Amino acid sequence: METLRSIFDFSDFPRLDMAVFAMFCLFLFVFPLLPHTSFSMATMIQFLMFSLYGMGWNTIGGYGGQVDLGKAQYAGIGAYTTAVMLIRWNIPFWISAPTGMIFAIIWSFAIGYPLFRMRGHYFAIATIATSLVLLDIFEIWPLVGGAQGLELPLMKMPNFLYLQFRNDAYYYYVLLFLFFIGFFYINWFRKSRLGFQLRAIKDNEEVAQSLGINAHWCKIKAYAIATSFVAVVGSFHACYNFNIEPEDIMSLDLSILIAMMAMVGGAGSLWGPIIGAAVLVPLKNYLGSWLGGKAGLAGLDLVIYALIIMAIAAFEPKGIWGIVEKARRRKRT
Amino acid sequence: MTPLLEVRGLTKDFGGLRANNNISFSVQKGELLGLIGPNGAGKSTLFNCIAGVYQATDGKVFFDGRDITNLKPYEVSRLGVARTFQIFVASGDLSVLENIMVGSFLRTHSRGVARKRANEILEFMELKEHSEQWVSELPVAAQKRVAMATALATQPKILLLDEVAAGLNPTEIDQMMGLIRRIHYDMGVTVMLIEHVMELVMNLSHRVIVLDSGNIIAEGKPEEIKKNPEVIKAYLGERYVSQQQKGN
Repeated sequence: METLRSIFDFSDFPRLDMAVFAMFCLFLFVFPLLPHTSFSMATMIQFLMFSLYGMGWNTIGGYGGQVDLGKAQYAGIGAYTTAVMLIRWNIPFWISAPTGMIFAIIWSFAIGYPLFRMRGHYFAIATIATSLVLLDIFEIWPLVGGAQGLELPLMKMPNFLYLQFRNDAYYYYVLLFLFFIGFFYINWFRKSRLGFQLRAIKDNEEVAQSLGINAHWCKIKAYAIATSFVAVVGSFHACYNFNIEPEDIMSLDLSILIAMMAMVGGAGSLWGPIIGAAVLVPLKNYLGSWLGGKAGLAGLDLVIYALIIMAIAAFEPKGIWGIVEKARRRKRT
Repeated sequence: MTPLLEVRGLTKDFGGLRANNNISFSVQKGELLGLIGPNGAGKSTLFNCIAGVYQATDGKVFFDGRDITNLKPYEVSRLGVARTFQIFVASGDLSVLENIMVGSFLRTHSRGVARKRANEILEFMELKEHSEQWVSELPVAAQKRVAMATALATQPKILLLDEVAAGLNPTEIDQMMGLIRRIHYDMGVTVMLIEHVMELVMNLSHRVIVLDSGNIIAEGKPEEIKKNPEVIKAYLGERYVSQQQKGN
């Protein structure tokens, strides 16, 4: 009962925030009904995927303050579990996705246990390393198709269980469903015991330990939660793209993008990853396609990307949401 | 009666430097013990060894009849030893109430229970008006009270206070003294405090231990300590001695 209330409790945010968010939700629900291009639909699906990736990252990276740059390995585990199970044994998405999640969590414990003995930059570098090692293994592993990756079989008829649709709107709604599960989970998480303990760990581990918090174990738990989010989206990615390659789903690029969603939007806040994804994903897609068409300007979008990150790092480490909160506080006092 | 906390022959070396040398003392349940000594005497090191932050080089620490030597800090805390730090906020992302909840979450998984306990302690520590504020917005005295409240929220049997009166004005020191007394009497928590503010230590403590260069040089009632020539030489006399010797 208390948990249920906490999931839907947003009372610590001003009414204005909730009004804006409600409008935004309304837009999300009706978007496929509005006139749109297939490109804008793809962008919206990517927005939802990266929001979820970011929400996951935010648990360990934002609330826990452990900068993790190796999340792509878990997206890969999710995607490959779904693909291999479908190709070999014809197992539907709704079974393979939770299975992938469990594999990813087991892997995250194996990785997290030694890695969380390290702190700060060392931890970040180590996460990159483990992700790249797994990438290399997948590139030469025959079961998962090696470097060529896997192609998912196209079924004759659309099938909800296998997440095979002809119309992207169906993918969109499935993802929207996952988005809201993730969103409400995070809303509960941030007020939970673990959420509080993580914030204490982030600010001062010594103090946290003195309050009876086993920092090492808390980090491992949060890391597993982050992993679950990423693995499920990875599974979805496999079904949506029909084609997965290690170089794509397990790349360092993806790891960094995942971390950036929350960092640019506002690490350690409920809205951060959503804001980050809403800004960065359209920017990436539209700017990329617009500049890519112009001779000599291809790649400029990456420069602009980099500039945004530098600006955030230099002026407001708490991201876009940090700017909003600061403006509010100034008004109040 | 077994003492609540017992330190037996505790020694702590940092490389070649001996910060604590063969220290033995005990704290009875319900006692209010002061720990004083000049800067660098090894007071904080002793706290850190008890709390499990540092590994003792030699010797043992017993709490409630249990050997807690070299347990991890969170394990010591779970057994009922809480401590404050000189600079102490659980998290800058959380409000005052939520910071205290981090402490009360040690004994419960329920958010409602944690909140209720935190609110009780908030009131007890005269922080009610600051409940929703950020800790960084508060004056130093209130920040220290938040630190103590957070430690108290873990429901300790013994509370180790590290210089909670440092940087406070006389009025605030009075308030702090009242609070420590109430923590001790009303909550029934055994208190051990490191302090430089003599007024506070001498008024509150049942018994005072004096450390100098890692050794216990005196132990006794506050009145005795004030008169002890060793202590005056090492500690209280420091100022006068150094003034006289400025020439050399």
